[in-house]
Amino acid sequence: MTKNITAGADRRRAASGDLLGPNSEIGRKLKQYYDELVSDHVPDRFAQLLSQLEQAEPAQKKD
Amino acid sequence: MAAVSQGFKTDLLGSIPSLRAFAVSLTQNADKADDLVQETLVKAWDKHESFQPGTNLKAWLFTILRNEFYSQMRKRGREVQDSDGIMTARLAVHPAQHGQLDLKDFRGALEQLPEDQREAIILIGASGFSYEEAAEICGCAVGTIKSRVSRARARLQEILKISGEDEFGPDAISAQVTGSNAA
Repeated sequence: MTKNITAGADRRRAASGDLLGPNSEIGRKLKQYYDELVSDHVPDRFAQLLSQLEQAEPAQKKD
Repeated sequence: MAAVSQGFKTDLLGSIPSLRAFAVSLTQNADKADDLVQETLVKAWDKHESFQPGTNLKAWLFTILRNEFYSQMRKRGREVQDSDGIMTARLAVHPAQHGQLDLKDFRGALEQLPEDQREAIILIGASGFSYEEAAEICGCAVGTIKSRVSRARARLQEILKISGEDEFGPDAISAQVTGSNAA
């Protein structure tokens, strides 16, 4: 069923171009769904976490 | 031990929006997703030395996040996804032949996919990874990713009653829909 997609699939864009490209309703919705998630505001806790990790750095040890 | 470079930290920060999007796609839950991203960042920080500069950081991070997700699922004995959400989703799905497919309906349909199919179609159709990269992230063969994407897409079409996109005609879809409720 997926044979026809291998033809131009070496480029990243083409990987989703056939089955999930702009001509596909599923493909469009998938990108809309995901883009909405990506553009969500990032809570401060993550920047704080990285700063904490950075400060703890010299003593860093894995259990 | 080599210190974490400023560049690495900046790149980590820059990856957070994508990581959160992927985490929500996997967990279908915003709070769990952010916890998962936090775990991922800590893990990535701890093992930053195993990242090879010049290779795809996003793919490396997605791999860590995914491994973390599945190991948490195993620990919890694979708890069932939010059943309220699934119920809402089932009620919300309407035939989409006329007019625009609602994003809420799409989200509900996505939620009904098995995790392996959902992650495959997200990685390929939304995160912009190649089949090869997705296979590496998921630790499986390229062919496996292709078949998961294809099944995910067919299943979404079935749930959302979308016709005319490929070899599945309306008749084939309704035949599958009637037989698929127990799946």
